[in-house]
Amino acid sequence: MSAAPATAAPVLAVAGIVKRFGAGDDALLAVDHVSFDVARGEFVSIIGPSGCGKSTLFNVIGGLLGDFEGRVTVDGQQVSGTHPAIGMVFQEESTFPWRTVVDNVAFPLELAGIPKRVRHERARHFVSMVGLDGFERRYPAELSGGMRQRVSIARTLASEPRILLMDEPFAALDEQTRLLLGDKVLQIHQALRQTTLLITHNITEAVQLSDRVLVMTYRPGRLKRTFAIDLPRPRTSEIVGSDAFGRYVAHIWSDLREEASRGIHDDELRTRERGEQR
Amino acid sequence: MGRRIAARSLVPPATGVLTLVGAFAVLEALIRVGVVNRFVVPLPSQVLAAIPRIVAEEGVPYRFWQTTQEAIGASVLLVVVGVALGMLLFRFDVLRSACETWVAALASAPIVLMYPLFLVIFGRSATTIVMIGFIAGLPPVILKTVEGLAGTRRVLLDVGRSFRLSEAQRFRKILMPAALPTIFVGMRVGLIFALINIVGVEFLINFGGLGQLINELAERYDLPGTYAAIGFVILVSILFFVVCERAEVWLLPHRQR
Amino acid sequence: MAAAASATLAAASAGRARGVRVAVVRIGIIVALLTAWEIVARSGWLFRDVVPTLAVIGRAVLRMLADPVFYANLRVTALEIAAALAIGGGIGLIVGLLLGGSRFLSRAYEGIVYYLGPTPKIIFFPIMILWFGTGAGSKIAMGALSCFFPIVISVASGMREIPLVLIRVGQSFRANPWQMSRLVYLPAMRAPIVNGVRLGLGIAIIGTLLAETKLSNQGLGYLVIQAYATFDMPRMYALLIILFVLAIGANALIGRYGSRAPAQSP
Repeated sequence: MSAAPATAAPVLAVAGIVKRFGAGDDALLAVDHVSFDVARGEFVSIIGPSGCGKSTLFNVIGGLLGDFEGRVTVDGQQVSGTHPAIGMVFQEESTFPWRTVVDNVAFPLELAGIPKRVRHERARHFVSMVGLDGFERRYPAELSGGMRQRVSIARTLASEPRILLMDEPFAALDEQTRLLLGDKVLQIHQALRQTTLLITHNITEAVQLSDRVLVMTYRPGRLKRTFAIDLPRPRTSEIVGSDAFGRYVAHIWSDLREEASRGIHDDELRTRERGEQR
Repeated sequence: MGRRIAARSLVPPATGVLTLVGAFAVLEALIRVGVVNRFVVPLPSQVLAAIPRIVAEEGVPYRFWQTTQEAIGASVLLVVVGVALGMLLFRFDVLRSACETWVAALASAPIVLMYPLFLVIFGRSATTIVMIGFIAGLPPVILKTVEGLAGTRRVLLDVGRSFRLSEAQRFRKILMPAALPTIFVGMRVGLIFALINIVGVEFLINFGGLGQLINELAERYDLPGTYAAIGFVILVSILFFVVCERAEVWLLPHRQR
Repeated sequence: MAAAASATLAAASAGRARGVRVAVVRIGIIVALLTAWEIVARSGWLFRDVVPTLAVIGRAVLRMLADPVFYANLRVTALEIAAALAIGGGIGLIVGLLLGGSRFLSRAYEGIVYYLGPTPKIIFFPIMILWFGTGAGSKIAMGALSCFFPIVISVASGMREIPLVLIRVGQSFRANPWQMSRLVYLPAMRAPIVNGVRLGLGIAIIGTLLAETKLSNQGLGYLVIQAYATFDMPRMYALLIILFVLAIGANALIGRYGSRAPAQSP
């Protein structure tokens, strides 16, 4: 447990976010007064059980959900709605199936009006960065799920956002692929020093990639505890085997377990109630 | 449980084709023997021989071109009007809820039966034929256009929002490309409906290209010629259908099968 | 509990408001179309008789509905369509069941049916006249030929979609083919069959009526062509309107029957 690094102004500052769904007595409190900062070049993960409101938080910070209390600021400026400084990578398949890999990645550059030759040049750089050299002219349908997610990441990186927001991008992939993609993400982070906020439910992933891990409670989502991950950088997926790694995972799990079991208990309760109503 | 798995994948289709050929052979025999009246069913061999004759004598290529022109006319109308109406229904939700069932009902209505009405309005001309083809093909184009646009995956629209796309950009770069495969399906179905009606009306009003040929040959009591012309038109129709299917695959290389 | 109820009420009233808006739009469109029609009719922009006023058309419809000649011809057409559907649909059902039930048969013959489907059947009419005469026979044959194809395709693909496990259950009880058809296939096939019949009815109607317009001295198609020949436009409009209402109505009725059937939950 430690405070955020006090050196430079934070790239992302989230203050007092409260998000409710519905109105009146029926309202569902999804996020309850969440505040935290992300410093320049930092990699922060938010981890929590299913249903804790972390995807809601993702959508609020990214500007896709409005109608909330609190503030989101980027480099000191308050933002509302989507903002070019915030790049988003979604959990579901989000590549454009009708565009080749390089055209997908060049999408933000196309929007900026950059001419074709230049933007393809730049896009290739990012395609290479995610390890998809040689696949530029392929269509997403020809790629595996993991490769498609890499295309999505490359596309968002191509817009050179000040902060990269990712919502469980590897949720649909198997463990080994996740670890190897984690390596890729570490390399990219190393190369770009990209400020990143990752939403995940996978403890290994969180510890492997992050400088800090924020644990959220089950609904309503609150920040329960912050873990500083003092593992050396540059890192690779080999770190997964180390003792220090194991200790972090154990600590985080003991916090998370309580929240996760509350979630399961709540599910059972609701299912039983619904059954009784019939 | 004895299950026969076709050893080679060509055997079943070959069986089908051979059955057809065999049936015609049996028919030929029955007619020659006199069991089947040859003034009602001409010899298949005679019909086959009639095909080159009518192609040469009846100006089949020109008639083919006439029918094609009508089809092109109907297609252009379908693309311009049908897709536009589909976009309109998608854009205005209330309009969609109000009209979508009407359009679907129109698809099952006997539109082609209005041809006498169109004869009065447009006369015995290509316009009548094109209009009926167009209206007959319209419902699937509209419905599929709406379906394609409405079926765009939510996450793709979210990507658009995260990149702060304008309305126009959202439509051009996300909605239309996402909807295109479905719109093509609608165009294919619409075009086929249109063509069926076009040839049918040509036959009925005795004007135009291939449909009219059949009518003429029938009125002349040229039996082998009539059968041959009908067979020819059926063949062309099948070819057209196959070409449409291939074109769809070729035009959309990225479609996940 | 009360909170949940109030939320449901709110959603229901929002739904009702939307329903009202949709109804208003529909009425608006109909009124606009009818008004445009009336304007064109009265302006004389098109040759006057081609676009009669709504009043004239309305009277023609009422006259038609009171005319015993209409009902006599309606009866003829209805019987022809019924026979066409019975023959074409019946044979189509059997062929569809055969093709759907056997992978070999399907791969051998279904392609032929599939590719012959989207072809204009009316061009076969001269042959039908040769074979079945100029009376009702050729019309029924036309309708039957038309609706055969879509019914085969619908039934065959419907059979393939029956959950395999249901078939295995029947086989495990050693049901013979007749029992299998009656107790497993047909009940599971209710939806595709109803849809096939719906499609088939629409196409049989078109095929039969078109044949009547080409060569007949009876039936509604014949009445339409007669109206054309005598340039009795109001009568033609009346006939077309009634025909469309009947066709769309029949289609809707079958659709309603199909959806009211108890859902077969796999």
